[in-house]
Amino acid sequence: MSLPERQTDVGPPHFEKFLPPVIKNNYGKWKYHEVLSPGTMVHVAESGDELYTVRVASPRILATETIREVCDLAEKYCDGHLRFTTRNNIELLISDKAKLDPCVAELKEKGYMIGGIGPRISNVIHTQGWVHCHSACTDASGIVKAMMDELHEYFTTKELPNKVRLAVACCVNMCGAVHVSDIAVVAVHRKVPTIDDENVGKMCEIPTTVGSCPTSAIRPNPKTKSVSINEEKCMYCGNCFTVCPPIDIHRPEDDGVAIVVGGKIGSLRTSPKFSKLAIPFFYNEPPRWPKVVDAIKNIIDVYAANAKKHERVGEWIERVGWEDFFKLTGIEFTFQHIDDFTFMRDTLRTSAAFKY
Amino acid sequence: MAKYDTPMLDELEKGPWPSFVTEIKKAAKTNKMSDDELGQLEKSFQTKRGYWKHGGIVGVLGYGSGVIGRYSSLPEEFPGVAHFHTYRINQPSGFFYTSAALKEICDIWDKYGSGLTNMHGSTGDLVLLGTTTEALEPLFAEYSSRGWDLGGSGSAMRTPSCCVGMARCEWANIDAMGICNHMTQHFQDELHRPAFPYKFKIKVSGCACDCVAAIARADLSIIGTWKGNIRIDQAEVKKYADGGMDIQSEIIDMCPTDCMSYDGGEIKINDVQCSRCMHCIAKMTKALRQGEEKGATVLVGSKAPIVVGSLISWVLVPFIKCDDEDFEKLTELTENIIEWWDDNAKPRERLGELIEVKGMRPLLEAVGVDPQPQQVREPRKDPFFFWADSDFEK
Amino acid sequence: MEQKEIQDEIFAYLEKMKGKKKLKEKDVIKKIMADHAELDKNTVKTALREMINVGKIMYAYGGGASSVEIPSEEYLKEKGLI
Repeated sequence: MSLPERQTDVGPPHFEKFLPPVIKNNYGKWKYHEVLSPGTMVHVAESGDELYTVRVASPRILATETIREVCDLAEKYCDGHLRFTTRNNIELLISDKAKLDPCVAELKEKGYMIGGIGPRISNVIHTQGWVHCHSACTDASGIVKAMMDELHEYFTTKELPNKVRLAVACCVNMCGAVHVSDIAVVAVHRKVPTIDDENVGKMCEIPTTVGSCPTSAIRPNPKTKSVSINEEKCMYCGNCFTVCPPIDIHRPEDDGVAIVVGGKIGSLRTSPKFSKLAIPFFYNEPPRWPKVVDAIKNIIDVYAANAKKHERVGEWIERVGWEDFFKLTGIEFTFQHIDDFTFMRDTLRTSAAFKY
Repeated sequence: MAKYDTPMLDELEKGPWPSFVTEIKKAAKTNKMSDDELGQLEKSFQTKRGYWKHGGIVGVLGYGSGVIGRYSSLPEEFPGVAHFHTYRINQPSGFFYTSAALKEICDIWDKYGSGLTNMHGSTGDLVLLGTTTEALEPLFAEYSSRGWDLGGSGSAMRTPSCCVGMARCEWANIDAMGICNHMTQHFQDELHRPAFPYKFKIKVSGCACDCVAAIARADLSIIGTWKGNIRIDQAEVKKYADGGMDIQSEIIDMCPTDCMSYDGGEIKINDVQCSRCMHCIAKMTKALRQGEEKGATVLVGSKAPIVVGSLISWVLVPFIKCDDEDFEKLTELTENIIEWWDDNAKPRERLGELIEVKGMRPLLEAVGVDPQPQQVREPRKDPFFFWADSDFEK
Repeated sequence: MEQKEIQDEIFAYLEKMKGKKKLKEKDVIKKIMADHAELDKNTVKTALREMINVGKIMYAYGGGASSVEIPSEEYLKEKGLI
């Protein structure tokens, strides 16, 4: 069977091809929106035209069978128009108000979860994990599933002081925005990598490998035509493994995850913030990582009980102080919490005024 | 099919949140690759480690980006995933589709691949998860002939991405989707043929809410903003108050610049003091709207922790007009930034890291932007600074 | 210089550096321009790109970065070029 003729450098299709007429007609002329329920909203244009959106949770990994099923629903209620959000939710775009309720009803009947709009937990940004990544040190989808089974009511119904953005990264490369999430899980190694000298010599460029280390722990080893690692300097980031696979950082029995908190992206009220370390380590406990899930649930509960309306996790912590964060959450403060990496001088306390 | 027992993964089919395991099983019903993916994943859950080798050299003829080689380290045990490459399709800006387009993508994917997707990958691509080396050229012929090109990977321009922008958001100060699409088309060569020192990411958000996280994960972050006074509809302010909003504590007291007041009837804003953070507008969208002179702030340098720590982007150009006729100017600015980086960076050095080594001045001079207080949180504290010959002429 | 000659030199350089250093497109262009002052960047880039388009050379990826290399026999077979 012959294939169609390939084309190069055509780029993606222009988005205009996929916009429903109500969007084409009101592009750039939206006036306001209203959240109708945790999973539905209406956007109203200057012209008075309305667009209804239904937001549906997705595990991000979707089988073509599921995509087709969602497409069928889009055809039934949305003239075939749908989109995905930057947090991997599915959105059905309804132009005819009369179709909103039947659409929601059918989605629910088919077992889809609707929600994520407003001061809630939206879908979780996460990475490939063991499903498809060579450098994964935990499974991202597994943790997300276990975590959201526990927290799903914050997607479908319950409110929080503000949005809580969750993320899971299966290694410190952090595909996704873990470093600026309200609460995030990041997988970490804790042992110095082993070096397969013979293959390092064959497969790797020594200067690149030496240069890959953020703490200058790697040096050339002319005797072995490989490299050696200064164990005292190594912080187990695994960047050497990325550039030189025979340097193996994986230790299934010692690897696990850390929890970071307080990051945000928007400039609302306060500037964007990095997430900071809350809990340095949990062992990987597949399939459901119960201790990780409990720890996250605890942080959310304490946040919900203590933050003011509209405060994000990081804003709440900055208001009460990190010493209060550790006290309120009951999280143990350890040596790992005190920064000794690149930006350490920005994080140590320079005042005699603090709380107990 | 279903030749594997998956007791660990079966646990993740329980509970209310949609299950990725169910998705893999759906694909595995008819697809041998997905079935072996399921088997290998169960093994990972049992042994707490992954079984994927480093990416290999695969791709489509003429391109160096868009396909990521992936091979199982247990090909004899799981032959269906011996090759399990990723095929990144460049998504339409704003992630809009029609069912017809998506179904066509699915039909082709079922024919050549695992039937599994990511909607979408972290950078923004429509990710097709798992296919063989032999299938790559046919897939490219099928998709590219229908107008679906590959996305970026490796040391290249990565697929630009954006928020929903003017398509469905009253807060969009710029045409995020229009800019994203324009940039994507303009940088096709840089996207497909990895000639850069390292990756280069562009993200566009319509306002400071930054729904695409441009400020945290793009070498070039374009974020919509405005100049001029916030437009107030006092009748709508009253409706918010009548509806139970505590305007004093929720809005006025939370304004970071203390530029608002409320007398129980009307809101007043001292716009000169406003930093345009979006808090009040986001909470009172019917009553408050941005000023009418729209544009973008261009920031540079953000990235994840590797190598020496994560960075949030720094302001380069405080305000640039972004109407349709300004797209070329924005593109030119981007080209100049990239040229400076490409000329100066070591291999695997991101733009933010290069700025840390060289300082902001060389970049500002390279792109012709004057120093402005908006670019810093505060001036330097120590009395060490460079003087260039040109400074003596002033 | 004829394009064919430029391409021969590109190929020879890549062959010489094989296994020694991963080269980026830019490194190759710089080397050819250094040897032939009369050539401009675009001429060399065009010659190189044409080689990539027909699989004479290829983009490769390894060690977290992209490079240009002479394709393996396996690659050429897959592309139906031998």
